[in-house]
Amino acid sequence: MTEATPTPPAPKPSPAPAAAKPAPAPKIAMPTPVLNHSAGKLLTTTRYWPTELWANPWASPNYRRGALMLAAIIGGVLLTGAAVGELSRWGDKIYALIGAFVASQGWPQNTAEGAWILLKALIVLHVILINGLWAIWWERKISAHIQSRVGPTYSGGFHGWAQTIFDGIKLLLKEDITPDAADKWVHALAPGIVVAPVVVAFAPVSFGTQLSAANIDIGVLYVFAFAGISVIGIVMAGWASGNKYSLLGGLRAAAQIVSYELPRAFSVVPVLMLAGSLNLEAIALAQAGYWHGLVPRWFLFYPVVGQIAFLIFLIASVAETNRTPFDIPEAESELVSGFHTEYSGMKWSIFFLAEYGYVLLASFLLATFFLGGGAPPLAQLGFIPSWIWMLAKALLMMFIFLWTRWTFPRLRADQLMDFNWKFLLPWSFANIALAGAYLLL
Amino acid sequence: MIEQLVFYSLAAVAVLSALGVVTMKNSVHSALMLGLALAAVAGVFALLGADFLFAGQVLIYVSGIAVLIMFVVMLLGRTYDLHLRQVNNQWLAGLLICGITFSGLWRVIGLFSESRAHSAPVPGTRLLGRLLMSDYALPFELISLILMASLLGAVYFSRSERSQSSSTNP
Repeated sequence: MTEATPTPPAPKPSPAPAAAKPAPAPKIAMPTPVLNHSAGKLLTTTRYWPTELWANPWASPNYRRGALMLAAIIGGVLLTGAAVGELSRWGDKIYALIGAFVASQGWPQNTAEGAWILLKALIVLHVILINGLWAIWWERKISAHIQSRVGPTYSGGFHGWAQTIFDGIKLLLKEDITPDAADKWVHALAPGIVVAPVVVAFAPVSFGTQLSAANIDIGVLYVFAFAGISVIGIVMAGWASGNKYSLLGGLRAAAQIVSYELPRAFSVVPVLMLAGSLNLEAIALAQAGYWHGLVPRWFLFYPVVGQIAFLIFLIASVAETNRTPFDIPEAESELVSGFHTEYSGMKWSIFFLAEYGYVLLASFLLATFFLGGGAPPLAQLGFIPSWIWMLAKALLMMFIFLWTRWTFPRLRADQLMDFNWKFLLPWSFANIALAGAYLLL
Repeated sequence: MIEQLVFYSLAAVAVLSALGVVTMKNSVHSALMLGLALAAVAGVFALLGADFLFAGQVLIYVSGIAVLIMFVVMLLGRTYDLHLRQVNNQWLAGLLICGITFSGLWRVIGLFSESRAHSAPVPGTRLLGRLLMSDYALPFELISLILMASLLGAVYFSRSERSQSSSTNP
C-alpha cells in the first residue's frame, strides 16, 4: 500500500486525445468522478474517462475501499484454503466428533460416514464454483492486457473484481429459452451431464500433500474416466438444439475430444511407469527429494521423457477443454457459437462453469503429475504449507491455459485431426518406449 | 442393506435403460439410453469392488463407444430417418429366442445364487497388470492382434469406398 504507486500507466494515453479532440471543450466544473459508486449518475452526467483519477487512484476513497475489498477477498480465499488445508490435520478429530454426536443421538454409524462424505463433497463443490468466479475475471483481465485493453474496471471498485458476480446475477435473471425445434428433455439435460462429471472427477484430486477428498487407488484412471463423460453432454446439447450450427459443433466436439483423449491418457503413462502407481497422492510423493540437493526430482525435470510428456499432456488438455487454439466446436466465425448457440441464461453459464472446472482440473493434474504436487521447489522453503505450493503451481498452469487462449490462432478442423493422430499420438507412444528405456538403464 | 439398495437401483436403471434402447423410436434417444445402461453396469462393477473394471468401463464404453455411436447416428441420420420402426415381421421368433435364453439364464442363476466369493475383493490394479503380462500374456496379445486386424480392415474398407466414389464422380 505505497502511496506513491504510479498505477496503471497503460490506459492513460488513449482516453486523453479522445477527450481533447471535441474542440475547445467548454470547461464545465467537473464533479469529482465517482467510480462505480453510482453507475447511473456516472453514465448520465459525466461522459468522460476518469483520467485524473487514474493519475493518483489512491486518493479516491472508493479505490481504497476497493483495494480493501480485494484484500479481503484474497484473505478470504487464503483463509478458506487454510481452513481446508490446515483443518485437515484435525480431520480425524472432526470425524470423531461427528461420530460421537451420532452415537449420542443413537443414530446408525452410517449417518456419520454420510455426513463426513457430504462435508468433503461440499468443500470440493465450492472449489469448483469459486474457481468459476475467479477464473472468468482473471481470464478477462489477462485477455484485456494481452490485447492492450483494460478489461472490467467498474464493478466492485478494484479492477472490476465483482464483474463475474454481477454477470452471474444477470444470467440468473435472463429468460431461459428453449427453441421450438429442440428436443426438450435432451436440451434441458445436456448442461447437467456436462457439469456433473467435473464435480465427480475432482474427488481424488489432491490439494496438497495427503489432502484429497477421496484417496482412490486408481485415481488417474478415475479422473480420466469421468472427465470423458462430459462429451456426451456436449453432443446432446449440439443435437438437441435442433440447429445445424449446434449439430456441427456437437459433432466436431465429439470427434475432437474423443481423439485428444488418447494422447492425453498415453502421455501420462511414462509418469505412471516412473511413479509405479495410479494413485494421485502416491504420484506426488514419488517426486519428493532433490538431485544434488538442488533440483527437485519432479517428473518435469526428468530428461526428455518428462518434457515430452508435459508438453503432450498440456496440449491435449487445452484441446479437451475446447479452448482457443482448439476451439473448433464453438468457432464463432463459423458456427455462431457451436453447441451452446441455443442456450441462454443459467444453462449457458453452466457450460462455462464446466469449462473452467476442467481447466482447474487439468491445472491440478499438471501440478500433481509433473510439478511434484505440494512439494516446495527448494528444500529450504519447506516451512510453507503444501497446499500453498499446490495452489500456486495449479494457478501457474492455469495462467498458461489463459495465456495460450489469447495468443494462438484457431486451427482448422483437418489440421486439428492431423496434429493429433500424426504428431501427438506417435510421440506419446515413443515417449512410453523412452520411459521404458529410462527405467531399464 | 445400503449395498442391496444401491445394487437394486443400479440394476433397475440398467434394465430399464436397456429396454429403452430397443423401444425408443428416436435412434439418438436409443444411443443415450445405451450410455446410461453401460454407466449403470459400471456402477455395479464399482459396487462389487472391481475398481479397475469400473474405470475401464466408464472410460471405454461410456465416454468412448457410446459417444462414437451417437456420433455415427447423428452423422448418418437425417431428421426423418431418426424415427425408426422398432419391430419387424419376425417379432414372434425374436420373443421365443428371448424367452428360451432368459429361462436358461434363470436356471444358471438359481444354481449359483447361493455360492459366495472366498475372500473380500481387494483393489488390485498392480496384480491385474502382472497377470496380463505373465499368465494371460498369450490371450492378451491375441486380443490385441484381433483388434489391430479389425482396425486395419475398417481403414481398408473406408479407403477403398472413398477412392471408388471419387473415381466415379469426378
